[in-house]
Amino acid sequence: MSVAKTVESSSIADSWRIRKLVVDYGVYMALALLLTAAAFLTPKLFQVDTIAIVMRQASQLGIVAIGQTMILLVAGLDLSVGGVIVMTSVAVAEVSNGRDEMVLPAILIALGLGVIVGLGNGILVTKRRVPPFVATLGMLVLVQGATQAYTRGVPGGFVPEMLGMVNQSWGFLSIPLVLWLGLNAAFIFILRRTAYGRKVYAVGSNIEAARLSGISVDAIRISVYIFGACFAVISGVVLTGYVGYVDRFIGTGLELDSIAAAVVGGTAFVGGRGGLLGTIAGVLIIQILSTMAVLMGLDVEVQFIIKGLVILGAVTLYSVARVES
Amino acid sequence: MNRILRMTLILVLLLTASALSYGQDDESGGLDFEFTEEQIEASPYLQSVLSRLDEVYDTSDFAKDGPYRIAFAAQGTSNAWSALMDAHAYWYVEELGEDVVSELLYGDAQASADIQVPQVEDLLAQEPDALILVPMGAAALSAPVERAMMQGVPVILCASAVETNNFVTEVGTNLWVVGASLAQYVVDQLGGEGNVLIMTGIPGVTTSDIMEEGADAVFAANPGINILDKQPGFWSPADAKGIMETWLVQHGDDIDAIWSGGAQMSQGIISAYLDAGMDIPPIGGGEWQNGFLRLALDHEIQYLAWQYPNAMITLCIDAALQVLAGEPIPRFIDFVGKIDNSDPFTDVEGADYFRPDWSDDVHGPITMPDEKLAELGFLVEE
Repeated sequence: MSVAKTVESSSIADSWRIRKLVVDYGVYMALALLLTAAAFLTPKLFQVDTIAIVMRQASQLGIVAIGQTMILLVAGLDLSVGGVIVMTSVAVAEVSNGRDEMVLPAILIALGLGVIVGLGNGILVTKRRVPPFVATLGMLVLVQGATQAYTRGVPGGFVPEMLGMVNQSWGFLSIPLVLWLGLNAAFIFILRRTAYGRKVYAVGSNIEAARLSGISVDAIRISVYIFGACFAVISGVVLTGYVGYVDRFIGTGLELDSIAAAVVGGTAFVGGRGGLLGTIAGVLIIQILSTMAVLMGLDVEVQFIIKGLVILGAVTLYSVARVES
Repeated sequence: MNRILRMTLILVLLLTASALSYGQDDESGGLDFEFTEEQIEASPYLQSVLSRLDEVYDTSDFAKDGPYRIAFAAQGTSNAWSALMDAHAYWYVEELGEDVVSELLYGDAQASADIQVPQVEDLLAQEPDALILVPMGAAALSAPVERAMMQGVPVILCASAVETNNFVTEVGTNLWVVGASLAQYVVDQLGGEGNVLIMTGIPGVTTSDIMEEGADAVFAANPGINILDKQPGFWSPADAKGIMETWLVQHGDDIDAIWSGGAQMSQGIISAYLDAGMDIPPIGGGEWQNGFLRLALDHEIQYLAWQYPNAMITLCIDAALQVLAGEPIPRFIDFVGKIDNSDPFTDVEGADYFRPDWSDDVHGPITMPDEKLAELGFLVEE
């Protein structure tokens, strides 16, 4: 009888370990698998030029995904980032009107607007108790409307030549990549090593327990929404320099892709679990899949199906592993 | 010397094309193109446009005295192209005077079919004398068009089509021929042999799909053309640049020419080449968009540009007035030849089209005075 019990408990322990392995390292294993597949299917992916392109394009999504991950960690969500990116592009072009010396003031103005948007999202979610999906969707429409009202539907101005520097590469290094990695390093440190980071996880894990332990829950939640909007502004600046042109549809889809990257990377929708290292892997998976699809000449429909399957697969795997463990 | 050779080649091509033209008469305007029976059979769009070119609608049932109240269901506040179309509409109505058009009822679809469908209902509830519709979805707008016609409101489609055939007339151009002509330019530039990349607009959007259909037909008829890949650039410079960067890694110097379904995407394509420091091959697919022309001139790019002038709204308003006067009207009105400078053009003539005093997002040709452009903020200091 006791032998049977020992075998049973050993089997449960093994199963628990596997599930924990999936939760903790699943995204990295998936990335490794993807890279192995790429070695056979699209060897060109490993050329320095291609790595530079993948990294530069991943940085645009990756910067937004940092903010999105932090918001997801407090059980939030931000759909307004796409609107903030377009707003940034318009602000940079309108304020600078092509003058390099006005780049910094233009970015500061865009950051100021981003802070207002993030603050608005945070206040709606915390003080008015509007569900994050509704609050940030409303904010998205508001920001898009305000941008259109300002431009009368016609984004004008010129993008300063200085912003074109985001297109330069040194080997596989580029300014967007350095920015992405630098911001990640800073915020991984903040989330893991500072009191603020521990409070973010505490609020996401159990909001009532966090409140009872004296954490200013609302301030933490508002702050992550402000960070989220600021990261969208930074990504907007990078994208504007990348395209060299103000486009109303710039950044379209980044709100959903950034959520997908964070979720594929293991950050839970319910908050409190996950982190930026996983999101980096999630961003790379999404970007590498896109690049591989073009390198393989796959039809766009197939690309969407593969992307959808990866996201659904990741969410299903995590939910099963988490619930059962 | 190179430029003279290119000009001679284009002249020869134009003469050949007109000699081989299918028989679109001068009245129909438009691009000349020789269709094969197979191409017509394979394309319901082509069948519809070609049959409507010769068809005339009896508008006597709609005849009434003016001044008229005309509803304009526009694409609305979405981009510079549609902002300029709206500006042309208001300017032209003002020019016609209140004794001709007493009121222009306006609906802003924000480029969304979901918004436009109920908006058309709202416009019809105001009992306009005619409806000018810039359809945001061929399928979604079919039922509202049918309802308008049942209500006795003549419908003039502007810049795009719907799936139903129950409307009075359509103002636009043969998009199949546009796609085919851009492809033919690519084939001609390559002497019938070479590697080509295709960047389409948004899959599922009629304009994009029909252009692609025309391009496919021409490339299929030229066995020396090898299609390296086809991807959608979603009419976005950012998406187009991202795809082009990957294509450059994959195909590099093997790329002999590119077919592009829009100037925004051509800008992204050019930007990727400039970043890579590579020579830019001929591009079949620009437009009279000032930003594209600026890039093309600065970097001496070979291209064929087609046009989709927002000023075609003036023809749509004219068509509405013709219908309300009870005059018979062709069921398809091609703007080419009816709006000045709306013909396709190449890099040889590009400098004549570029306007240094226009902002990059202006789509020509513009038929309203410069003061109107200035009011909208489209004029810049030279």
